[in-house]
Amino acid sequence: MTNVLIGFFTATLITSLFTNRLFRLYFWYGINSLILGLIGVVMGKIYNLNELVIMGIVTIVVKFLIIPLVLKKITFRFKISRDITPIIKIQYLTILVPVVLVFTYYLITPVLKTFQTHPNFVAISISALFLSLLLIMEHKRMIAKVMGFLFIENALFLLGIVSTNGMPMLIELGIFFDLMLFILIINLLLKYQGE
Amino acid sequence: MGFLLLPPVLVFVLSYFKINRTFMAVVSSTIAFGVIYVFTHPFMNEYFFVDKLGGFVLAISSIVAVAIFVSMISLPERIKLDEKSIRRFYRFFAVFWIGIIISILSNNMGLYWVGLEFATLSTVYMIKVKVSKEANIEAWRYLIVGAIAISLILFGIILIYASSKNILGDYAMNFYALMHNTQKINDYLFELGFLFVIVGMFIKMGFFPMNLWLADIERASVYQVGALFSGILESAIILGFFRFASIEKNINYSHLIGIGYTHILITLFIVSFLIYRAKDFVRLFSLSGIEHMGLIALFWISGGYFAALLHFASHAFMKPALFISSGILEQNKKYLFKGALKNINKFTALIISAFFLGVISLPPSPMFFSEIYGFKAMVDVARDSNYFILMLVGIFGVLILLSIIFYKFVHIYQDMLYNGDEKEKKVYTSEILAVLILFISTALLLLPQSFEFIKGIVK
Repeated sequence: MTNVLIGFFTATLITSLFTNRLFRLYFWYGINSLILGLIGVVMGKIYNLNELVIMGIVTIVVKFLIIPLVLKKITFRFKISRDITPIIKIQYLTILVPVVLVFTYYLITPVLKTFQTHPNFVAISISALFLSLLLIMEHKRMIAKVMGFLFIENALFLLGIVSTNGMPMLIELGIFFDLMLFILIINLLLKYQGE
Repeated sequence: MGFLLLPPVLVFVLSYFKINRTFMAVVSSTIAFGVIYVFTHPFMNEYFFVDKLGGFVLAISSIVAVAIFVSMISLPERIKLDEKSIRRFYRFFAVFWIGIIISILSNNMGLYWVGLEFATLSTVYMIKVKVSKEANIEAWRYLIVGAIAISLILFGIILIYASSKNILGDYAMNFYALMHNTQKINDYLFELGFLFVIVGMFIKMGFFPMNLWLADIERASVYQVGALFSGILESAIILGFFRFASIEKNINYSHLIGIGYTHILITLFIVSFLIYRAKDFVRLFSLSGIEHMGLIALFWISGGYFAALLHFASHAFMKPALFISSGILEQNKKYLFKGALKNINKFTALIISAFFLGVISLPPSPMFFSEIYGFKAMVDVARDSNYFILMLVGIFGVLILLSIIFYKFVHIYQDMLYNGDEKEKKVYTSEILAVLILFISTALLLLPQSFEFIKGIVK
């Protein structure tokens, strides 16, 4: 089950790299977060960790339901253009994505036996970080860059789950609180100055 | 701990009412009670700990914070700001301060990150408080680049946590536990995490290849933001660097030296030439800040703890003073060095000159002593290594780059003092008071007792 979910997690992230409309990017972010939350719940059940299950549910509520909605509202409210054509051409992206994936597998090779979960998961979460950075680099529009940062947050959460079976609860909550502050700051910036 | 958070919380609450800036400065100064209490009552629990190093950094950042609050009394006279913007500035400054205190005192890597993220996000609004197109652009840029840097730090922290979770359990998040169990940590995973952490920290401090982003941001925002970055935010970041580097030193010292020296040497190379081409005070001071952060990191990883801490303390006092002075110096024109020190009362000119020349380590600046001790530590490391000649060439390269910076600063100083026209300049009492606080603090560093105390922090 986790294998399938991790596969979909990567697939949605890669799809977002090729997206050129803002709402579609929100959609893929939502799906990506939903899968992430499910991974948390499933792994929490497997290892009998209630904290992980709770964090998975919170992820689904906050990142799948609330954040995309808030972002959509912000887009309407401040009349943000929805065209986010990437500045990196698709043919280059199709080369870059596998390179990143292979590189992260290579990076993780020396510690394959360290993890309780499948080591591929750790490699995927590191590659998710690099792919999210690529998402930030490939867009000129600020709102798309902000989405890149939100994808990085997902990569961080995934790494937290697969490499350590979840971070301590207090830290996870701190991260969520920071995410909320991040959204608040974006709202303030857009309100007082626009994109 | 609660004592320490009281002044920022009070500032936050008061920012919702009509602002009395002098009263805000008085409120901020009550942090002294908390700092004294923490200094005299060291403690440690799962989430927080006050060792000598943390207490030292906390004391320094608190002095700088109070000085900035004092300088802000004349902020609306210097830059056109409405009441609402000033309130927000204070509000976000309070959040920033809370984040920094949490970060400095945290025993937990995750909490350290949460505090740092708090501080980073709250700074965004402080940058954009100035109404200009540049400030708007830079606020967005800071949000994105700052967020990426901080995410890389968290990514590294998770990997470090994973490297020792099997052995230390939940204590794998504790700096203290990690420092005392370096033999049991998974080396490769820790080093991978450490790499992410230092890349994030180096981005935040403006190291190569992100040399100009901080300078641009500080140029676009109000002078106090520059002071805040160089005196407080960078203190918290460098403290994290000290802690992580100390662990890495026990795991693989040669890797630490290799990565640190190479990266900092490249950074210094680029920064020295950027300083040579600097056209305004804020960029000049900002780039000089990167140079000093590089030196502090270099001294620390070379084992020159005393030098690193003395350099860090003097930089944390001197650079904010210079940023606050920029408001006085830039009254002729933003991009004009000539005549900047003319027509200012002698006392103000003397203090500003002392900082301006002190920051390039002209004696009796504390930086002069820290650099002597620091370079001695670097030579010692080179002598003990298998790459003696290579490291000596590196050290010699650093000295050449520092001499370029020295030349440029002296050249600008002569321009400020002897060239250009005399124009009428305003100097506000609050600015002088703020700079004076920092001047006295810097002078206190030269006392033998201060030297002894700093030597005792890390033995």
